[in-house]
Amino acid sequence: MDTYLVSVLNGLAMGSLLFAIALGLSLVFGMMDVLNLAHGAVYLVGAYVAVALLGDGGGPAAFVAAVLTAAAAGAALGGALAAMTRAAPHHLDQALLTLGVALVVAELLTVAFGSDVHSLPAPVPVDGGVRILGETYPVYRLLVIAFGVVLAIAVHRLVERGPLGAVIRAAVADRAMVAALGVNTGRVLVGVFAAGAALAAVGGVLAGPILGAQPGLDEKVLLLALVVVVVGGLGSVRGALLGAVLIGQVQALGVALLPEYASFLLFAAMAAVLLVRPAGLLPAAAGVRA
Amino acid sequence: MGALCAVLRSLRRSATISGLAVGALALAGCAGSSLGPSGAGGSGDEVTLGLLVPLSGVYAPLGEDMRDGFRLYLDQHGGRLGGRTVKVVTADEGETPQTGVPAAQKLVTQDRAAAVVGVVNSATALGLRDFFHESKVPLLVANAGADAITGDRGSPYVWRTSFANGKVGAALGPAVADEVDGGVYLITADYAAGREMVGGFRKAFTAAGGKVAGEKYTPFGKTQDYQPYLSAIRSSGAKAVFSFYAGAEAVNFVKQYKQFGLADKIPLYGTGFLTEGGVLSAQGAAAVGVKTSLHYSTELDTPANKAFVDAYRKKYNEAPTVYSVQAYDAAAVLDKALAKATGATGEDLAKALGQVGTIDSPRGPWSFDAQHDAQQKYYLREVRSDGGAIVNAVVRELG
Repeated sequence: MDTYLVSVLNGLAMGSLLFAIALGLSLVFGMMDVLNLAHGAVYLVGAYVAVALLGDGGGPAAFVAAVLTAAAAGAALGGALAAMTRAAPHHLDQALLTLGVALVVAELLTVAFGSDVHSLPAPVPVDGGVRILGETYPVYRLLVIAFGVVLAIAVHRLVERGPLGAVIRAAVADRAMVAALGVNTGRVLVGVFAAGAALAAVGGVLAGPILGAQPGLDEKVLLLALVVVVVGGLGSVRGALLGAVLIGQVQALGVALLPEYASFLLFAAMAAVLLVRPAGLLPAAAGVRA
Repeated sequence: MGALCAVLRSLRRSATISGLAVGALALAGCAGSSLGPSGAGGSGDEVTLGLLVPLSGVYAPLGEDMRDGFRLYLDQHGGRLGGRTVKVVTADEGETPQTGVPAAQKLVTQDRAAAVVGVVNSATALGLRDFFHESKVPLLVANAGADAITGDRGSPYVWRTSFANGKVGAALGPAVADEVDGGVYLITADYAAGREMVGGFRKAFTAAGGKVAGEKYTPFGKTQDYQPYLSAIRSSGAKAVFSFYAGAEAVNFVKQYKQFGLADKIPLYGTGFLTEGGVLSAQGAAAVGVKTSLHYSTELDTPANKAFVDAYRKKYNEAPTVYSVQAYDAAAVLDKALAKATGATGEDLAKALGQVGTIDSPRGPWSFDAQHDAQQKYYLREVRSDGGAIVNAVVRELG
């Protein structure tokens, strides 16, 4: 039983990371109707920023610096992607464009950092383990859970309560109406795109001590984020949170309970949700243009 | 004939302008060969060799090491093998047979390589077997470990300078049965190489009186977090773990094995790929104490290996890996075979490959066995921290 409780804890840690990564993808898709396939590449940029700044280990200050640098790099990349995708109104064009950007970014990272697998140490004071329920558990993962909780509350406050959030949610629901009310939706969209990409890049830094950085990781992360968005529903913070926690648990507790089916669990969960609720568990309140 | 068929197949598959152009070039190359004075692989003194290694995708680090090892041997011998000037044509194997097979076909049909060296992916090697068999061109496999390559699907034209998965695992079996008092848990990635290595280990291990405490096959290429499996290992009461992972999976597995506190209580054994080359650098101190079996370590205390490691470090400014040695040895094999070959055809070269005898390699002397596989010593290695550097120290030879 204790074994499974530790898996639940671990599922929360992975869920926290997935929430940070998938949130931007969900809002951008829900709001701008842009499927950003470069989202995984933005994550990988964050991971390699961490490799560059923290490769030899470092304290909390260096870690915070890496997070801020990654956020800035992610925001810049997100802004550029927002500008590019505005010129491409069709889904197929957007998919091809962002996929192309993803390939170019991933290749540039390989040129710069080589094709070897990189791993990162957790920052020094939290690189050990604590005993939980008779098992050793890495302290760093507990901090990741704490980060996820703080992020979820902050984003919820911002998007579901504040005036800025009202504009964002309205833009998800009906962009033309918001524009008619005199809001510069273009600026809102670029802002959300940049913020979402910054979060993905920060996710790359935070996941560094757990997943490392190597070519090909961008595709795996993008796939997981897409599953989270599909399960949670487009364009909603609560959906992304629920989807991320659910997928985190499927990958930890699900695998612990049913190891024989580990390869199918992820997509079985997605298929089950799609059968019952085709729009996802908690989609944005008003319908998104299909 | 096989080459022509392959060209026609590729034409049918991709009826594009570029496909046609490549096909036309390949056909032109064939025509030249039937009219030209010499056999395959270049004219007179010169011989063309194909180097087929992954330079993109997840196996790229291995491919780069193999390319470097092959080049080092050539450089040390003035660019000549068996008294003939060598022209090396390199092709990118990529990740899968979809990229590897056409690249090999191009090396043989278009560049007219006398022999091809390389191949990391076992599926690619198995997919190429018929092509090389029918083209009568030797293929020297310098990594791909599937047992069938030199087993059920062997060919007079396919030789292997690396290892067979089952044998690497089996080498460690008796040693673990001897050292561990209690059950051993088996865990590996769920694909052919993992199952063959664990299968080879299990057979030798149980034959030596060992007990299996449990086993798990984790989804290959999809598992980032091993915590659920690590918890299962802990609750199984196993006294040791045997595993095989490579690349990013090896890094994550070994690091998490340490992070979740198993490394201090349950010794981790594995095949050497678990802690080889760039993987070991990424694992760092988390890998200390892991014991593995492999046919090479940079720490082997022999004059041949010391000279090799020094030369390699001088040229590339990094330590060699088992992958570099496998390709280095493939060049050494070709050096002897080209000198012994009585004619210039692929048949002559394949016959000469059977007569190369013992290769005095950095890994120790080895020779081809009856199935064209490398017959060699395996070493028990333990990851140790040696003055800041993490290395695979050699504990002893495995019987």
